[in-house]
Amino acid sequence: MTNLTELSKQMRTDMLKMAYSVGKTGAHIGPSLSLTEIIAVLYFSVMNFDPKNPQNDSRDRLILSKGHGVMAQYAAMKQLGMITDEVLLTFKKNGSKLSAHPSLNRELGIEFSSGSLGQGLSLGVGCALALKRKKSNSRVFVILGDGECNEGSIWEAAMYASYQKLNNLTVIIDKNNIQYDDFTDNILSMNPLDKKWESFGFETKTVNGHDTEQLIKILNMNAEKPVAVIAETIKGKGVSFMENNPQWHNGILSQELYEKALVEIGGANA
Amino acid sequence: MTTLEAYTKAFTDTFGITDEEAKNLKFQDIKAWDSVGHMGLISAIEEAFDIMMETDDIIDLSSFEKGKEILKRYDVEIK
Amino acid sequence: MLDITPQNIRMWSLLGSCGAFGAAAESVVQENSNIVMLTADLCSFAGLSRFSKMYPDNFFNVGIAEQNMVGVAGGMAKEGLIPFVTTYATFASMRALDQIKVNMGYMKLPVKLVGMTAGLSVGILGATHISIEDIAAIRSIPNICILSPADSLETVKCVEAAVQIAGPVYLRLSGSMNNPPVYKADYDFVAGKAITLKDGEDITIIATGTMVHNSLRAAKLLKEKGISAKVVNMHTLKPLDVDAVKSACSSKMIITVEEHSVIGGLGGAVAEVLAGIEKKPEHLIIGVSDSYKPAGEYKYLLEQYGLLPEQIAEKIEQNYKK
Repeated sequence: MTNLTELSKQMRTDMLKMAYSVGKTGAHIGPSLSLTEIIAVLYFSVMNFDPKNPQNDSRDRLILSKGHGVMAQYAAMKQLGMITDEVLLTFKKNGSKLSAHPSLNRELGIEFSSGSLGQGLSLGVGCALALKRKKSNSRVFVILGDGECNEGSIWEAAMYASYQKLNNLTVIIDKNNIQYDDFTDNILSMNPLDKKWESFGFETKTVNGHDTEQLIKILNMNAEKPVAVIAETIKGKGVSFMENNPQWHNGILSQELYEKALVEIGGANA
Repeated sequence: MTTLEAYTKAFTDTFGITDEEAKNLKFQDIKAWDSVGHMGLISAIEEAFDIMMETDDIIDLSSFEKGKEILKRYDVEIK
Repeated sequence: MLDITPQNIRMWSLLGSCGAFGAAAESVVQENSNIVMLTADLCSFAGLSRFSKMYPDNFFNVGIAEQNMVGVAGGMAKEGLIPFVTTYATFASMRALDQIKVNMGYMKLPVKLVGMTAGLSVGILGATHISIEDIAAIRSIPNICILSPADSLETVKCVEAAVQIAGPVYLRLSGSMNNPPVYKADYDFVAGKAITLKDGEDITIIATGTMVHNSLRAAKLLKEKGISAKVVNMHTLKPLDVDAVKSACSSKMIITVEEHSVIGGLGGAVAEVLAGIEKKPEHLIIGVSDSYKPAGEYKYLLEQYGLLPEQIAEKIEQNYKK
């Protein structure tokens, strides 16, 4: 099995490279770093996904509804051998396929375009319904942000998913407790988030979103109804000055900060 | 064909029923006579007698018997 | 394919555009089991009661949640289904406009959005339910084909066309029950290709939806006044038949007529084409003035906005300079 800890380290390093490469434009580094283990576990352990054949109909579907966290997905694609270092550094450059928010790309296995928050779960519900009709065993994973859960359309989709008993659908909420402006508790607190998902008819589990073993166990769980995994994460995880800091939802890395961050992420390997 | 035969045929053709079943039929007695079936019946009757019915009459035509009365207004005597 | 007989044409006209849509839905699903119908708690309103009973596996009632409905349809479309999404035109087009932009416009997912009772036909329910802004809203989004049938038979043809079109479609259904027929027999329908219904030398009336019928009647009244009008059915609002607009430039006046705001609809689309043409006649835009009026029945509201045949004829006569 892939060493997920080492892999996560490399992904984080690449995310920092991407963020640094865009210079003063800034990048959504905080909400990408919080996603690292979730994305790593999905691509390298849980999901049925063949990077050489990303359009295979039997693949599991991954929908990154919180599209601003896409650097984590691009970093995973590099580890999967789907994109090169050169392509990785086209991130957020004019005309690049690695846009700041994901753009539907069948060759890269990006199922849908996202960026307008609150839409990914409905798409996932549509996929899950269609897959059931096809008698497919493929699963659908939708990653939401906790701030994104402010959007009413999320709850429209949640109601319908549980009413349709979509046990092929798993929602992962990257609960990093920070949204664009500030801590979610200072904007529109969604707590208790687990009770909300539970009451909407989801089999709800709370895990440490940076604990790969826990994540794998929960994400492989079978259920009779759709599953909601509340992944408790730290925004900016891995870089001390970014962690839990609303300033780093979208941030600009100076050379000094970049080098400091690389050392922290890389640890002994830096 | 008598007018009664033509009138009955509109029902039997539209709903796939027998002459006997048509005789006492009322709106929504059978699955086929729902709101969509109703418009099919109206257009079949109109075609049979070369008439165009008014909206109120279309709505009022709620049974085989009622239809006979309504058609009198269009100078169609069902016998 | 549905049989196009005089009796069926009359039946669809009685049913109105929603009922005709339902009849067409039952027909197309028999040829393609990937076609699914979605509605937001408006099954019978959308003419889908029978469909829902006959094809329960192809029918999804998502509840009163239009944003989710368009999103679910996007997911289904990506997985190879052909989803038709139905609700009142105003909710279909604007309640879920961002979903339409992202799913249908940006991602080009082949969702078929169906707006029922577009225009003024449900005006008695108030301005919340009428839809005079939908064309403008959706026309501004790239990649979405907009079909606006003139009568119930054309509604059936548009449903069949929507299935064939590989990309996203907005199907705008105007009028009410007992929709007056424009077409009394079968004819060739090609999306994107306007149809000349009546030739005329002096002026060209380009109309869409219910206003095609009213424009034909207006043309008759104008004939009595000595004005010979050509009438064109612009059943596809996007992509617009630019050649039809160009050829109208040989008339002395172009008039567009629509049951939609005078801003951003058919009139706007035609004006955008005319803007690039050097030699062109005057263009008169007839439609719903930029206002909400107190609620009222369909015909009352048409009259309030000056969209009855005699009002259309009068307005054209007043503006026409021989």
